[in-house]
Amino acid sequence: MAALAISSCGRRALLVDDNVINRMVVRKLMEEQGIALEEAENGKKAVELVKEGRVFDLILMDREMLVMDGPQATKQLRSLGVTTPIVALSADAMQSDKDSFLQAGADDFVEKPLSIDKFALVLTKYGLQDGQAADQ
Amino acid sequence: MELANLQRRYLDFTSPLFHEGILDNQFTQLQQLQDESNPEFVLEVVTLFFDDSEKLLNELTRTLDQQVVDFKKVDAHVHQFKGSSASIGAQRVKNVCMAFRNYCEEMDQEGCLTCLQQLKQEYFLVKNKLETLFKLEQQIVAAGGSIPMMW
Repeated sequence: MAALAISSCGRRALLVDDNVINRMVVRKLMEEQGIALEEAENGKKAVELVKEGRVFDLILMDREMLVMDGPQATKQLRSLGVTTPIVALSADAMQSDKDSFLQAGADDFVEKPLSIDKFALVLTKYGLQDGQAADQ
Repeated sequence: MELANLQRRYLDFTSPLFHEGILDNQFTQLQQLQDESNPEFVLEVVTLFFDDSEKLLNELTRTLDQQVVDFKKVDAHVHQFKGSSASIGAQRVKNVCMAFRNYCEEMDQEGCLTCLQQLKQEYFLVKNKLETLFKLEQQIVAAGGSIPMMW
């Protein structure tokens, strides 16, 4: 399942999360920043989107998902040559879970739920705050 | 005076919800995201949370009632519930979910059933409180006022 919100600012993000309420909140955060958002309900759908040729400036990837989890999806995306920043999202993850996610190819790890301030820090870090798309 | 009384009642009702840990800062985050372009954002998210939660509670009740319990399935449902409750700031619901997942991992049916009861209690408590909060907000808006914010 994928939903695309049209934006005039050129920044595009992909949210990979199986929780419909989490997606609603992040969608609103993205809307506030004028970032076009696509959504995938699991890692497999995210990989399919990329294989279809979709390009993103930022990927937010949940850790625990059915069908294909975050670390597996991240590994597959990296093996496909995707260099987009991937920010891992998880609540109450153990250090070993964080480490394995980063080893799979994630660039960063942020605790859920995503607050307005945490979200702003992520956007600033990956160059999406000022409307400039991050280099791929 | 009526508006001022309503606003005072709202603050007196809302403040303990945070002190008692029923709601946490994530709920305030949702309120901060609400604006003129989407004046019902919090209500929409919370309504979806209610619908989703009640389906999950029914599923959990059914799954834990089986002779042979599928603990992976139970854990998957509790994981969803934990994520949703954290996203709307229902802190005590989230905390019960965390304990619940530990019992799932240990495949402890009795522990899971106890957690399910606690989960139902905490969920219906936060649901009741949020429904009252929204009614108070509607009364304030109907009286021509704005919702006082906790931040």
